[in-house]
Amino acid sequence: MEILYKSVTFTQKRGIMQISISRYTITSLLLILVAVVVAWLCEVLLGAFPMGFFAFPMNVVLIALWVIALVELFRARERNVVARYLLSTQATVTALVLAAIGCIVVGLQSKPATQSYLFVLLVIYVMTVLAMVTLRGWRVGGAVRLRFLMSHLGLLLALIAGFWGAADYEELRMVVDDKPRQEAIYIDGRATNLDYTLRLADFAVTYGKSGMPEQYSADIEVDGKRVKLEVNDPYRVGFGQSIYLMNFEQSDANTHIIVQIVHQPWRGVMVVGIVMMIFGALLMFFGGAKQ
Amino acid sequence: MIGWGIFPIFAILAATAGVVGSVSAWRSHGRSATALWSMWIATVVLLLFIVGLWITLERPPMRTMGETRLWYSFFLLLSGAFTYHRWGYRWVPSFATLLSTVFMVINSLKPEIHDTTLMPALQSAWFIPHVAIYMFAYALLGCATLLSVYSLFGNRSVDKAVESLLYGGVAFLTVGMLTGALWAKQAWGDYWSWDAKESWAAATWLIYLLAIHLIRFKRAGRGVICAVIVVAFLSLQMCWYGVNYLPTAKQSVHVYNR
Repeated sequence: MEILYKSVTFTQKRGIMQISISRYTITSLLLILVAVVVAWLCEVLLGAFPMGFFAFPMNVVLIALWVIALVELFRARERNVVARYLLSTQATVTALVLAAIGCIVVGLQSKPATQSYLFVLLVIYVMTVLAMVTLRGWRVGGAVRLRFLMSHLGLLLALIAGFWGAADYEELRMVVDDKPRQEAIYIDGRATNLDYTLRLADFAVTYGKSGMPEQYSADIEVDGKRVKLEVNDPYRVGFGQSIYLMNFEQSDANTHIIVQIVHQPWRGVMVVGIVMMIFGALLMFFGGAKQ
Repeated sequence: MIGWGIFPIFAILAATAGVVGSVSAWRSHGRSATALWSMWIATVVLLLFIVGLWITLERPPMRTMGETRLWYSFFLLLSGAFTYHRWGYRWVPSFATLLSTVFMVINSLKPEIHDTTLMPALQSAWFIPHVAIYMFAYALLGCATLLSVYSLFGNRSVDKAVESLLYGGVAFLTVGMLTGALWAKQAWGDYWSWDAKESWAAATWLIYLLAIHLIRFKRAGRGVICAVIVVAFLSLQMCWYGVNYLPTAKQSVHVYNR
């Protein structure tokens, strides 16, 4: 199944330079063109990307369908031209180049357009190529099979958790003072009630020489249970949900803190992906550049 | 009290040991014990300064540009000693010493202003591994870049070394980025937020992955691979300090020295 087409070849015939481009390279270029047009049309016709539509269970259903489709595609790789393209070196190189360009564009933007249609299409393309290559690595194997699978499957899981899980990500802010409270607001301003109460029991801050706070911590009561919150030390309150100490306001009369409540049900998938990638990287360091 | 005032003394000692190591490595066929010892001594001299500075400042010296450059010169020497120990390439000590000395000179001539407090967001167990791993990666990738350019001028003997350094560097880059993601979850609630620094870190990582894939596929010529490695290194500079000069740095959560 090795594909040996040259991407772009320059040959000289009777003094005339001839350029030939492989059909997989042309496929990549056509896909980019189609993606740009589709993204532009969606932007014009549909407006902002409907992230909420992909919340659970829609994302799980779509992932299942996508995985089934890719496994079928992989099984038919000998005769299916789409599968052969997705497994070609050109597809991998295209995915890496486009992803790098995408990151640079996002890195130059003051408001990252990571929920634009073009970026979404790019992520889906990268995940699809990565998933196909991972399937092949699983089946084919070789001396560096474990390292390959750890790096590629790990990245795939992290991308799935980050991309599809984004629709289930919730971030709330809440002011907590010495009375038990439940009212919190979403980032977009909607108000909601938590299914537990928070109360500030104790607060401590130390200031440095420059007058800036060096460290601060708060003791809060979650439904009456006392726990400690610090910067870099959140409290886990339920499945994929944590309370973070964000800020504080202190005056002679009263002290209140601002907490951030994050609900990220895909956290476990992300952690598994990250740990696999770290393991893959360690194998890469110790194994070196062996084939 | 060890502070930036006496850094030039340590810098001269470390650079001298590095030069001794470089010369003995060049002159000997095979691995030179003198070279290896000199490289380790140079590394330890810088380590002593770092530990002293750490005690003086009462915090890990990993916050300002000057301090990260200090770690860079340290890890360049360490990775040089380590790479020479592991593979015995005779050019390694000179490369490591040269790059390390550049950063020591910069630090001696213009030490940044340090204040002794560290903001709460940086007070985490992730801080030291995250920065140190990145510094190690930068050092290995810096060597890989120079060697790759050197290989363009017809010296094929270093191709294997470029590949080894690239693998080591990218492995560290990956772990550095991922420890950053785990830390971000603990500090801010999410693993990734497409902040300018994060986006450039991802771009850098992807361009290095491209270089590794191109080498593995055996499809691209030496010039193309060298160009990709150089672009990746430029992107790395952007990620490291270039983003501070972007307009987007104003809202970045990763700019600590303002």
